Amino acid sequence: MTDSFRTMSLRIAPIILLALATVVVAQPAFAHEQVAVGGGLARGLLHPLTGMDHLIAMVAVGIWGAQLGAPAIWVLPITFPMVMALGGVLGVLQIPLPIPEVVIALSALVLGVAVTMRLRLPFAAAAVVVAVFAIFHGHAHGVELPSSANPLAYGVGFVLATGLLHLCGITIGTLTRWPAGERLIQGLGAVIAALGCYFLAQSLGAVA
Amino acid sequence: MKLGFGRVSMVAAMLFAQAQGADAHIIASRLGDFYTGALHPLTDLQDLILWTAMGVLAGSLGAAKGRWLVLVFPLGLLAGLVLGRISGLVSTGPAVDAGMILLLGLLLAAAARLPTTLLCMVAFGLAMARGAVNGSDLAPETDRILFAAGLASAGYAAITLTMALTPAFSRPDAGASMAWRGIAVRAFGGWIAAIGLMMVGFALASHSL
Repeated sequence: MTDSFRTMSLRIAPIILLALATVVVAQPAFAHEQVAVGGGLARGLLHPLTGMDHLIAMVAVGIWGAQLGAPAIWVLPITFPMVMALGGVLGVLQIPLPIPEVVIALSALVLGVAVTMRLRLPFAAAAVVVAVFAIFHGHAHGVELPSSANPLAYGVGFVLATGLLHLCGITIGTLTRWPAGERLIQGLGAVIAALGCYFLAQSLGAVA
Repeated sequence: MKLGFGRVSMVAAMLFAQAQGADAHIIASRLGDFYTGALHPLTDLQDLILWTAMGVLAGSLGAAKGRWLVLVFPLGLLAGLVLGRISGLVSTGPAVDAGMILLLGLLLAAAARLPTTLLCMVAFGLAMARGAVNGSDLAPETDRILFAAGLASAGYAAITLTMALTPAFSRPDAGASMAWRGIAVRAFGGWIAAIGLMMVGFALASHSL
């Protein structure tokens, strides 16, 4: 069963590649209204990846979710993008949030500490903590959206990038199955918390 | 023999002349109107997202419910194309487009057990809206029948493939060790819903500006 499935997916891969190539090649031939899909997509994809404070916080969310186990590990990847999109809508509507830089730096610090200490909050409390940070992170991405050449492509890009960062975190989080892996993750959490401290100091103006 | 050669060369010359004409036509319409219709939705991000979401949603509900869409979805595209040409109502507006993305994403993320009739109605409505939008870019010289055939074929192929790939990936009967795959499909719905929610916000924001 597994073997036949694997050979099937091996056969599917070139077809999907071909289909993708067709789509990519076909793009410039049509007089569509949509402009700069590639540019918008690239900007959306890169936006969460280029801000170090965002990146480490998103990975930390994934790791913490994996540490918390049962409900968190599956509720998190399903609901986080939607909560973040709520923040994104606030950003699109240009509704300002208080001290966004500080909260985003704080999110890296708090999540890093949670991972290091293996903080086992009740599920509802953990969800609230993550949701507040999600809104601030989404807000930062959403502010950029209307100025993008293709807002839809930008939105697709930034949701994909954020989701894949969670996936990275969850994959790292599966190391908790082994004792050595658990130590490694706690070390990683400490690094994230330290970076969070640095970004917090930076956002408060203490570091140039 | 000589006569035969003359005939053959005449036929060849005629074919050559015709071939040139056809060649010029192919260059003018790039790949022919059938492929224009087939590739038109596949080069539109809105269509890609909506069609994929629709296919994954139908696939996640199981083959018994989903297989109706093999027929309903292409027919809906054709109906939308025809109605759009007749009524002149071609665009649903950015807020409705975004709302459809949000709705499909939420249904998928919530793993809602839609009844078959409702699923078919959602698919038909979506296909009609997208068929009308795809028809709005028709150039006056485009062959309508070929374009419609291409569009319907693309819809059929896209929805059938996506629906077939979803249960092949999530494997709902494979037990607990494969449970993460079902969650991955729902998380995909969460991503789609997030995109839709943001685009709703953007549509409303640009409307009020």
